[in-house]
Amino acid sequence: MLATLFTKAVRDRWLGMTIATSVLALFMLYAMAVYRDIDLSIYTDMPDGIKELMGIPEGADAASLSYNVLLSFAGALTLAGMAISMGSAAIAGEERNGTIGLLLANPKSRTDVLVAKTASMVALTAAATMVLWGAGHVVPVILDVDIGNTHVGAMMLHLGINALFYGFMAMAIGAWTGKRTLSSGITTGIMIISYFAVGLLPLIEGLADAAKVFPWYYFLGSDPLVNGIDGGHLAVLVLGCGLFAVVALLGLNRRDLRGQSIGVTLLDRLRTNPTTRRVFDRLAGSTRVSRLWIKATSEHQGLLTVTSLTMFGMMGVLMGPMYSAIEENIADLADDFPEAILAIAGGGDLATPEGFYQVETFSLMAPIAIMIVTIVIGARALAGEEANRTIGLLLANPIKRSTVVAEQALAMVVYAAVVGVATFAGVALGSVISGLDMSIGNIAATSLLVTLLGLVFGALALALSAATGRVRIAVYGTIGAALTSHLFNSFFPLSDSLAGYARWTPNHYYLSSDPLVNGMHWGHAALLAGLTALLVTAAIALFDRRDLRQQ
Amino acid sequence: MSMSPDIALRTAGLTKHYGDFPALVELDLEVTMGEVYGFLGPNGSGKTTMIRTVLDEIRPTAGRAWILGMDSHEQSVDIRRHIGYVPGDLALYPNLTGHDTLTFFANLRGGVDETYVGELAERLDADLSRKIGDLSTGNRQKVGLIQAFMNRPRVLIMDEPSTGLDPLVQREFQTMLREVAADGRSVFLSSHTLSEVQRVADRVGIIRRGHLVAVEYLDELRTKAMRRVDLEFDSPVEASVLEAVEGVRDVTCDNHRATLSFNGKMAVLLAAVAERYDVVDINTREADLEEIFLTYYRDDATPV
Repeated sequence: MLATLFTKAVRDRWLGMTIATSVLALFMLYAMAVYRDIDLSIYTDMPDGIKELMGIPEGADAASLSYNVLLSFAGALTLAGMAISMGSAAIAGEERNGTIGLLLANPKSRTDVLVAKTASMVALTAAATMVLWGAGHVVPVILDVDIGNTHVGAMMLHLGINALFYGFMAMAIGAWTGKRTLSSGITTGIMIISYFAVGLLPLIEGLADAAKVFPWYYFLGSDPLVNGIDGGHLAVLVLGCGLFAVVALLGLNRRDLRGQSIGVTLLDRLRTNPTTRRVFDRLAGSTRVSRLWIKATSEHQGLLTVTSLTMFGMMGVLMGPMYSAIEENIADLADDFPEAILAIAGGGDLATPEGFYQVETFSLMAPIAIMIVTIVIGARALAGEEANRTIGLLLANPIKRSTVVAEQALAMVVYAAVVGVATFAGVALGSVISGLDMSIGNIAATSLLVTLLGLVFGALALALSAATGRVRIAVYGTIGAALTSHLFNSFFPLSDSLAGYARWTPNHYYLSSDPLVNGMHWGHAALLAGLTALLVTAAIALFDRRDLRQQ
Repeated sequence: MSMSPDIALRTAGLTKHYGDFPALVELDLEVTMGEVYGFLGPNGSGKTTMIRTVLDEIRPTAGRAWILGMDSHEQSVDIRRHIGYVPGDLALYPNLTGHDTLTFFANLRGGVDETYVGELAERLDADLSRKIGDLSTGNRQKVGLIQAFMNRPRVLIMDEPSTGLDPLVQREFQTMLREVAADGRSVFLSSHTLSEVQRVADRVGIIRRGHLVAVEYLDELRTKAMRRVDLEFDSPVEASVLEAVEGVRDVTCDNHRATLSFNGKMAVLLAAVAERYDVVDINTREADLEEIFLTYYRDDATPV
């Protein structure tokens, strides 16, 4: 059974892994083609300190730049994300699906199951790393680019082991608690905090060493692309993997397996407490189920809370004092920064608070945060009800299919608005408490634009969900589209011949008007809102004409 | 299309293909008001496909269906004001309590009387305060049944509704179905449990491999349908003589004795036999629904 359990786990995941790595390889091809054709003196002329900071090797060339941009961020997060997904689902996923009982009714121990799942996670991550490594060698040959002194293999080894570190962490939490969402949530949170800490802490005087506390440091801290493999750093990560494996093993063997039962939430306790019963029974009970869109809004409270708090606290309020702390250092750096580099980093002038917030909060994290909630709602809205087999009963009621789509879209707007407002409030508060004197109106404008951008992709997920009834297609299709839009919008402006094409991406209408400095661009807002409306209309038409899936 | 007002459900040439696979083939059936219609067939015979098609969850490849005279696709929203539905393999929202679930559907449907919900819960012994995810299969099924009954629908469409219910609750549920019929409303009950259909249905339609192979009133089925007949003669008997009589099948002879299945008038059989032999003893008994069902199922499909 071990062999078959291993094969099944691999079979369940190989397609997603293959698509993700293929997309990354394609982007590598694309990035390298762009870098090959632009004047690289902007990089080579940079001061040594900055080159080091950005992980650019001596004699920066098209190859190292594209490896750097693709692997140290997008590639690393993608691979780690997939490892987290596998790790957290290993045991907790089977419990949630109610399949763990049958699985363990076979003459195999819990340890056997865990070992098989671990093997599949390691094998798939290794395979993905190998594919990327192959692409890293093939792409320069296709484009006739000299890769010079870059250590592609070392980078890949660091990348793969880094991904496994988070995979094992998720597995340990999932095996110990039996809660899949909890384990993937905590691990992803740690990964993101760690990513930012390693990027920002070295800029604060006296805090550079603090970065060593964060695991991301042992992935990129030694700059493997330039310096090759760092055995010590890898050993730290491998040791971490081993430690998590032991925790997973002990945790799984000591506890009761969970059934499919639902945990007790804070709301449930308030509902049963005699003093709070009246209010909360209304809130969590009758109000919650009074309308379809309100019920849909109540479905992903946890996700919404975490995302909003992250945007408000970490990416909003915290960035104000952070900017104050590193203001002087960053101003020195920024003076030496070529404009073109800043354009890639998110188009902001790092020496101003607006530029800093744009680079750190608005260019990447805010769109990602809003898209997380809109894509989850959009993809699960219809296809999720089909996957859970509740759609038949829902539509046995006297409501039109178009109403169901429209109410789910409304729930999506509510979610996007909450995260948008949290982002606005966080950044505004951060600016005020640190005396950065940013325009509140402009922060609001930028927050509104990013909310609309998130809604465009949420509506795309809804349309894909409506058209296919498959959650995976809706999620992966939309992520692919969003990634393409982001990368095209970042890279096209670098090339004179391609610059004009950036306006064909939705992302262009978010930051191209520099709203944090110039205020609201209503034309762009209207365009994003119109695109959202168009996609929702498409979703309604597509959902109306097809057979509902049975599972 | 004008239709008699006492037709609850009607299909005409209803056909559904999944790719090349014909799940439902030119189904013509009619359920009248005031009856419980048992829809009987083995697993995978097309029962659920038929129900999902008339509810507009999936669209027919050919043919049409009407519920209460309304077109199943064009007027699907109007139809759903008047029906109650229990899907096969029922799934509900695990994070809602039974009570929340019923309130949710009542809000979508309108016109639900809360005291009636309470009565139904009491009759089925359902606990509505716990979350659906924490309920056993049978207790979850009870919530599904209550939501189907709670708006006093004119037509109840139920796909394997007794799944997981204990015998006492099953009995109560069957009583409730009879009450619906007595009230002049109707029930379309899909099942593979013969005993259940035998107990509550007025009429039964048998489906196999997407074809409706028979529709019978249960009373008629019992009387006219097959009987097992044991005969004893004063001399050895030849099977061929018995097999020549119309309506006789499955003959086994053992010297003076013969056993056969007979579908027809007993007088004809006796007259034919008496021409050749003296009958010493005769014993007949009714075949139960299971034997009838198996007979239909064993034969190759010959749609009626």
